[in-house]
Amino acid sequence: MSWFTKALKSSVGKKFVLGLTGLALVGFLIEHLVGNLLLYKGADSFNGYAHMLESSELILPAELGLLALFLVHIVLAITVTVGNKSARPEVYSMYASKGGRTLASKTMIYTGILIFVFLVLHLVHFRFGVQSLDAEGRRNLYAAVLALFRSPVYVAWYVLAVCLVGLHVSHGFQSALRSIGVNHPKYAPALEALSLLFGFLFAIGFSSFALWAHFFKGGS
Amino acid sequence: MNLTLKIWRQKSPKDKGRLVTYMAKGISPDMSFLEMLDTINRDLILKGDDPVAFEHDCREGICGSCGFMVSGQAHGPLKGTTVCQLHMRHFTDGDTLVLEPWRAKAFPIIKDLVVDRSALDRIIIAGGFVSVDTGSAPEANALLTPKDNAEIAMDAAACIGCGACVASCKNASAMLFVGAKVSQLALLPQGQPERERRALSLVTSMDDAGFGNCTNESECEAACPKEISVRNIARLNREFLRASFSHPAK
Repeated sequence: MSWFTKALKSSVGKKFVLGLTGLALVGFLIEHLVGNLLLYKGADSFNGYAHMLESSELILPAELGLLALFLVHIVLAITVTVGNKSARPEVYSMYASKGGRTLASKTMIYTGILIFVFLVLHLVHFRFGVQSLDAEGRRNLYAAVLALFRSPVYVAWYVLAVCLVGLHVSHGFQSALRSIGVNHPKYAPALEALSLLFGFLFAIGFSSFALWAHFFKGGS
Repeated sequence: MNLTLKIWRQKSPKDKGRLVTYMAKGISPDMSFLEMLDTINRDLILKGDDPVAFEHDCREGICGSCGFMVSGQAHGPLKGTTVCQLHMRHFTDGDTLVLEPWRAKAFPIIKDLVVDRSALDRIIIAGGFVSVDTGSAPEANALLTPKDNAEIAMDAAACIGCGACVASCKNASAMLFVGAKVSQLALLPQGQPERERRALSLVTSMDDAGFGNCTNESECEAACPKEISVRNIARLNREFLRASFSHPAK
């Protein structure tokens, strides 16, 4: 086994790659959130932005890169979780935290699985499901967003899902940084606060689109 | 004080094991937890029963021998304390306490509350030391060490290898133990010649022993009787990655 394969297969190496892909996905979420803010500007801006992205020559490599990031992140998360379960074959009859664990940290794999389900549905609805065109001949994503969020059930599911994304990131961002070795008394508290901030931003930011579409645009 | 104890009893590594209930009566609040167990064992021996096996040595919180779960918490509810230094005054009359051994694939149970922690010894054997040729001691001022580094190294060196980090981690990970051992030497001039080989060997030995992966929950730091910081885990990650890329071995 080469030094590189050996490093990647080690517990530290797996967590390093899991962390790096997680950080890259946080970067994608920031871009996605900022791009979606154009919803508030109106149909022309939002559809124009989507059209600009989809007609770019870079869209295919970017989407393949994103797919690779998600796949590597998911496969490694499952591998690490399976390894962790086998490291304690017999569980305690009683367990109580002494202060380290949080709701976010102990539910990472569960929030991750639900986010994956949400991601598949999200792609089916918005990436592959919208075929109608606007007056300019662009995919009318703006109308699709308003139409989908007309359903209170879909709004509730979407808000729940993006809150889970926020919960996942609130632990994941700081955990990823530690996994790649970034931790120092000088800046660790700031990075932990940033991790929480990202979690809140994603939960509130993405939820706002669904709530705005449902309550203020009436889905029309 | 009167307490109800549910203690894990397991005759041998192959025995199935079960929780057995004992009544601890007339316990002094000034007793240590292990002294309380001593009284239970005295009564068991007088009745002709097998006493509860638990590990202990110094009973001063510095040797790392003792350790088991008290109602789901490694070394009991107090922070920064080994179970030998945990006193009964921290419990309430009438409490029910559940005592279980450390549970991890890498820590097979030997008997009752005693587990085999030789996996930690094998990690140290893999490289958690400094090779020193015999001879007269070098001149003390010949090795210059920054004060700040010496302090951080000393904090890491406080690890007593009790295994509470593994026991409390939901993944049974030994990253805090290995992080402490790598840090204490990586920060000092004496540790430099074997720095890269040590980081690689210790992580390989840790993985081979069947410990889990770290998911950065910091439960280990909260349970550590010596309050070793999880920053040592981040340092271990850095040391391992640096060594993977720069160590001469292919």
